[in-house]
Amino acid sequence: MKRLLKRISVLFLCVSFTQLAFSQTRVITGTITDDKGAPVQGASVAVKGAKGGTTTDATGAFSLTVGANAHSLVVSSVGFNQQEIGIPVDNKVAITLVSSAQSLNDVVVIGYGTTKRKDVTGSLTTVTSKEFNQGVITSPDQLLSNKVSGLEVTSNSGQPGAATTIRIRGNSSVRGVGNPLYVVDGVILDGRDARPSLNLGVGGFGQTPEDNPLLFIDPNSIQDITILKDASSTAIYGSRGANGVIVITTKTGSSGAIRMDASASVGFNVGYMKKYDILPFGTYVNALSKYNSAGRADTLNQGAHVDPLEDITQSNPIQNYDVALSGGNENGKFRASFLASTTPGFIQNNKLNKYIGTFSGNYKFLDKRLTVAFGLITGNVTNNDVLASNTAGSAGNLISSALQWNPTKAYYNANGSFANETNGTPNPLAMLKGYNDVSNVQTTLGNISAAFKILPNLEYKFLYSINQSNGTRNTNIDGFIAGIPPITGNGVGIIETAALTSQVIDNTLQYNTTFGQDLHFTALAGFEYWKTNYSGFGVAKQGFNFNQNELSLLNAQYTDIIQNGQTYVTNPTSGSDITTEIQSEFARVDFNYKDKLYLTGTMRIDGSSKFGVNNKYGYFPSVGAKWNIANESFMKDNTLINGLALRGTWGITGSQDFPPGASIDQFAFGAYNSASQVNAGNPDLKWEQTMQYDFGLDFAILNNRLSGTFDYYNKDKTNILFQNVAIQPGPAAFYWINLPGHLVNKGIEVSISATIVQHKDFQWDLTANFATNSNLITNFYAPGTKNPLAIYTGQINGQGVSGTLGQVITNNQPVDEFWLKHFEGFDQKGNQIVSANPTFAGNPNPSQLFGVSTTLRYKKLSLVLNGGGSSGFLIYNNTATSVTNIAGIANGRNIDMNAYKSAEQPSSGVAASDRFLENGAYFKLRNASLTYSFGNIGNYIKNLNVFVAGSNLFVITGFSGFDPEVNIDKSNGGYPSSSIEYIPYPTPRSVLAGVSFSL
Amino acid sequence: MTISKYFKISALLVVIGAAGCTKLNETYKSTVPADQAAAALGPAGVGLLLQSAYNDLPGIFVGQDQLFSLEENSTDESLVPTRGGDWDDNGVWRVIHNHTWNADHGQVLSVYNGLNKLNFDATNVLAFAPNKEQAAEARFLRALSLYYILDLYNQFPFRNPGDTLLNAPKVYKGPAAIQFIIDELEALLPDLGAANGSTAANPAAAKLLLMKCYLNRGAFNNRAAPTFDDADMQKVITLGQQIMASNYSYESKYFHNFNNVNGSSKELVFAYPATENSSTNNPGMQARWMMTFHYNEYTAQAPNAGWNGFSTTSDFYKTFGAAGVMNYTPNDTILDTRLGGRRLSDSLTTAMSGIKPGFLVGQQYDAAGNPLKDRKGAPLAFDPVIQPTMIETGSNLEVTGIRVAKYVPDFSTTYGGANYSSNVGNWLVIMRYPNAVLMLAEAMMRQASPNNAGALALVNTLRTARGAAPLASMTLADPTNVDTYGTLLGERGRELYFESERRTDLIRFGVYLTTWQYKPTDDPKYLVYPIPNQALAVNPNLTQNPGY
Repeated sequence: MKRLLKRISVLFLCVSFTQLAFSQTRVITGTITDDKGAPVQGASVAVKGAKGGTTTDATGAFSLTVGANAHSLVVSSVGFNQQEIGIPVDNKVAITLVSSAQSLNDVVVIGYGTTKRKDVTGSLTTVTSKEFNQGVITSPDQLLSNKVSGLEVTSNSGQPGAATTIRIRGNSSVRGVGNPLYVVDGVILDGRDARPSLNLGVGGFGQTPEDNPLLFIDPNSIQDITILKDASSTAIYGSRGANGVIVITTKTGSSGAIRMDASASVGFNVGYMKKYDILPFGTYVNALSKYNSAGRADTLNQGAHVDPLEDITQSNPIQNYDVALSGGNENGKFRASFLASTTPGFIQNNKLNKYIGTFSGNYKFLDKRLTVAFGLITGNVTNNDVLASNTAGSAGNLISSALQWNPTKAYYNANGSFANETNGTPNPLAMLKGYNDVSNVQTTLGNISAAFKILPNLEYKFLYSINQSNGTRNTNIDGFIAGIPPITGNGVGIIETAALTSQVIDNTLQYNTTFGQDLHFTALAGFEYWKTNYSGFGVAKQGFNFNQNELSLLNAQYTDIIQNGQTYVTNPTSGSDITTEIQSEFARVDFNYKDKLYLTGTMRIDGSSKFGVNNKYGYFPSVGAKWNIANESFMKDNTLINGLALRGTWGITGSQDFPPGASIDQFAFGAYNSASQVNAGNPDLKWEQTMQYDFGLDFAILNNRLSGTFDYYNKDKTNILFQNVAIQPGPAAFYWINLPGHLVNKGIEVSISATIVQHKDFQWDLTANFATNSNLITNFYAPGTKNPLAIYTGQINGQGVSGTLGQVITNNQPVDEFWLKHFEGFDQKGNQIVSANPTFAGNPNPSQLFGVSTTLRYKKLSLVLNGGGSSGFLIYNNTATSVTNIAGIANGRNIDMNAYKSAEQPSSGVAASDRFLENGAYFKLRNASLTYSFGNIGNYIKNLNVFVAGSNLFVITGFSGFDPEVNIDKSNGGYPSSSIEYIPYPTPRSVLAGVSFSL
Repeated sequence: MTISKYFKISALLVVIGAAGCTKLNETYKSTVPADQAAAALGPAGVGLLLQSAYNDLPGIFVGQDQLFSLEENSTDESLVPTRGGDWDDNGVWRVIHNHTWNADHGQVLSVYNGLNKLNFDATNVLAFAPNKEQAAEARFLRALSLYYILDLYNQFPFRNPGDTLLNAPKVYKGPAAIQFIIDELEALLPDLGAANGSTAANPAAAKLLLMKCYLNRGAFNNRAAPTFDDADMQKVITLGQQIMASNYSYESKYFHNFNNVNGSSKELVFAYPATENSSTNNPGMQARWMMTFHYNEYTAQAPNAGWNGFSTTSDFYKTFGAAGVMNYTPNDTILDTRLGGRRLSDSLTTAMSGIKPGFLVGQQYDAAGNPLKDRKGAPLAFDPVIQPTMIETGSNLEVTGIRVAKYVPDFSTTYGGANYSSNVGNWLVIMRYPNAVLMLAEAMMRQASPNNAGALALVNTLRTARGAAPLASMTLADPTNVDTYGTLLGERGRELYFESERRTDLIRFGVYLTTWQYKPTDDPKYLVYPIPNQALAVNPNLTQNPGY
């Protein structure tokens, strides 16, 4: 084939030579559409072998003046395979691009710049907007689930807007959350938001879940998301790159007529993806008799028939409306969009409302030598939460009430008041009605940049950005809810506010040149200054005079009339974090020899105010090399292989993920007229160091219809920033040190894309990814000793297991290894027997991650399926341990089916043990969407699509809880936990139908 | 492009870079760096720091899972049975009562850290130029923490003011340890404010602590075979007599020491205050009754009146009567008021609850006198019999065990009893006058020429104040049975039960390793708690106690 082409081109060459004499030009016009018939905007169209070219406008149309000797066009666009087409005699073309995740000429975002995929030496994956997951999407990270090998995105719960646990290449944190660094349009985010976190200090509910800090970004306005994985890609972010970097690029305007894109969708939560396995009604009634005396069973069977897990849910419509205007010409482009969305949760009263406006522009001056660009994102996000806390004790929370509630007990008394149980389980509907927790976060992310081409190949760029987030949260628990002392009869009102401001100033200088003919050289140097402030305030009162009786409620909330509360739960508190400043210098050089050999080197020097006085500055180098074998002359004649490259990278990244002020002794003011030293400062604190190497192979065969990537990585984290046990006597239980131990994550990553069928009317694409990870801590000793450290974490909560910790961070084990007593069966009386002492009980970190997506298109109808999962890990079912254990049946609470099927009797004690460790392996059909592309309708409506999409359609798993994709925050003393499920907000199955079009 | 152009660009970059350069000093807002603290806190700063040390006391002494658990659950006075789904808590309570704990026990760690925080905060006062009286108070608080660390862990770490916190501190062990505390107390005693009330370090509190040190010195130095040096006993006697000569006297109602207005008790030597209905100054004493009460104990809060946990052994309960009977009735006149319960007929019980303080056994009643029921609908009648395994599996598992409410539930009516489970008025009692009297009596019996008659007289005066019949004779202890009626150890139990004295007493009286209910065997290593593994890992100067 290739040989044939060569001959043809030789032929053309001859022809063109003859035509050259006439020096004619002609104008080619055409339209470019994607495989669904939608116009592709911004695709580049050029004559093969010539420089320059044009791009398509919003309707996918282009017009290109070519020389008479032009014989074929090369069309490329991000996310599509590059395509060549001969120029027909009528000078009109209609080109359908075939999507590809990995087109070599795609522009991909790297730190402080962009490059072409083919020039990348490191390991990174770009997911473009049309590959994004569809369905009910509330935050950008959900767009990526299962799309990227080695990227683990775990929704911590089924609540819309819930925080996600994101791990790139394994669990690499022995403190905090270990989330990656987020970079939005070149601006490094702080990673937090200003939604005040809530720990209900009364009633034993514990800490409530965090929300997702990226909610202010409109998923519809994202052009693409790039995940930087290896050190060569991330080291340019220096002391903050160790957990990987996620780079989000928002859409920009393109030249052409002004265009409006609009979309609307409506959806519903249609049921549980998977129900927690408690006793169904009939079995429950039998169980009452099985475990209780006849008289007692009669008392407990109260004659009604309710299904609490269903009765707490709702099916209010999910609605999303999005409008974007964009346009411009070659000297100026703009894009503005507005999103209004409401996502009612699966549980009543729970709702996430978002209003997000974005406005960006890009203008050229001084003969295009000066480019001024700005971007503004402003988001208003409101959460109405329900009482679903992470670390509830014996008082439980809404979900535990629903699980435990006696299904024969009616919720209401005859007079309409809430019926109350005498078994310690509050009425779930009362907990719904009496809990009102509204948080609002207003976030603005603005940036302005100016890029000046000092010389054609030398560009200076300045960028300033500010990210301001202000949050308020009003939480009310009405006093009428029975059974939760001391709230019952008192009520609680909590008002909290928080503010987060971070600012960035960047100066970069980029230079590129070519030495001789073949050696291309690009260099980037820059200076960055970054600063962040966080402050908060909170007041909590109880003892209110109203809303103590559900039959006579005021519309007012306690937080509307906080002065009515008679006592403070705790003193009002305010605090302001120490301002953190980072200043950095960085440089990158890229060599490209004949598109065959590539070499990249980066260096970043970070100075951070957080580091100790003795170590203010950190140095983060990396190198990467690639050999593009496909471009070697000996490959010229092969017809099978279209692309083949070998990569190798090495580098050091850092982390400074510890509280500001940890390096200096600090005194703080406390309550009751007191002040005290609050930490033991460590002036030697320095950045944590992650040395990573990566070997990779990229290939494409069969006319690019099958392509893939293999990577082997090894990340070794040392100088671990660690909150160490304080040497008593001391002011706190912990202080921060760099521990000389190692935390090693290594594994392989594979991703494969295939176009299985490629036909004009029918196309079938399949992409799959797979990754393995092994995680181990070594040399984990107390400083200066050979005494292994053992840090216990993973709070197991609930009645009967108070204070139990189920995980350990220690030497020669993976992070958060389960540490549990061994379950040895039941004795003759049906009491469970557990061993006296805990032992290592298994790994909570997935050993394998996998994802698969497939697109089937028949004419204008396309079906996209996306699923994935993980395996090789265990989940601890804390719900079964302490909420739905068998003891409940003696008091008329519902219990776990596994317990019912066992030989256990209600007298059996509650104990945390490996009995409740379950295999977490699962596969989830995360999204399925069916789209019909009408194309253009009439003269005005363009690119009309209608779609229906489903989310979380099914899960295959042996896990008995709601959702094996779970990570309730059960950290203890700042040490993170992993893979523990405890009365989580359940995951719904949902469907969404919508329409989108352009004008 | 010329070289000069490159130069200009580079210069531009440098200028821009330099303009943005900062020294990267942290900007403090809510906190003050140590080097500015002395100036920033000002003349009142020492007082603020001293208050922080006082504020460490509730964290150590209030919680049922803190010092109280290590000092009481390890004895015959207290245990926490597992009742069906309740209170297994990974076995942490059972191993304390069974004497089978290890160096990873969470309570062993948190008490060690809590006491050392007091140790640190008190020491830190001394680094800020305190006046003489403030220094004495700080040193008293430090001595208090060191005493308990030594008592529980057999050694204590010590830093001088201003020591680098990143270095492992020196550790005092053996005879030098208790000598250090004694020297401290003797030295600071003259400087303590004589006018200080019970909520601040005061001379009587220092003397009482000194009495404890002298009395226990022989036990601390050899817990397996305590000896009692006569000179130490004379010190105890002198100090005890000094306290008796000062302004303390027995309350006519024993539970006035523990109710919501106990701040006015004439027996309080050292206490931490609480302000009723206010969270701003409240140590949360309600835990001490909620930990023991049944869910349905108080109808207004049912089914959440309590946590259905802590109980006492029936053998300990029996020590209140010579005959050792199990079912004391309201008419048993031989019994003393310290038993509380149904016998108590004074205003300490409000009309709101029906719960009386003290020992709860048998049928429980609400305020109107109606019998209460448990969650299964069976009578709420506490059964003294606890399973030897401390794991209840019978049909009556909810109601096993005699309950002990030393602190009187605060049902103050202002807020309709709603403060029952928060913001109560009860002060935390740390040292009480009768302890000084009983130590004095003990020293009189232990001195080289024992004065048993004098000791018996002191004890009988106390008993009379408690409404109990005088003892005819009294020995120190029964070496084979900790729960023998006519002993001084028995009297200390009856007076000071649930006040975190029992473990130290049993060791000093040489009976800690004998068996008692639900503790079938023992090993000498349990005479002290282990150094928590976490602490041991970071301070090489600590040595693990033998056997762990």
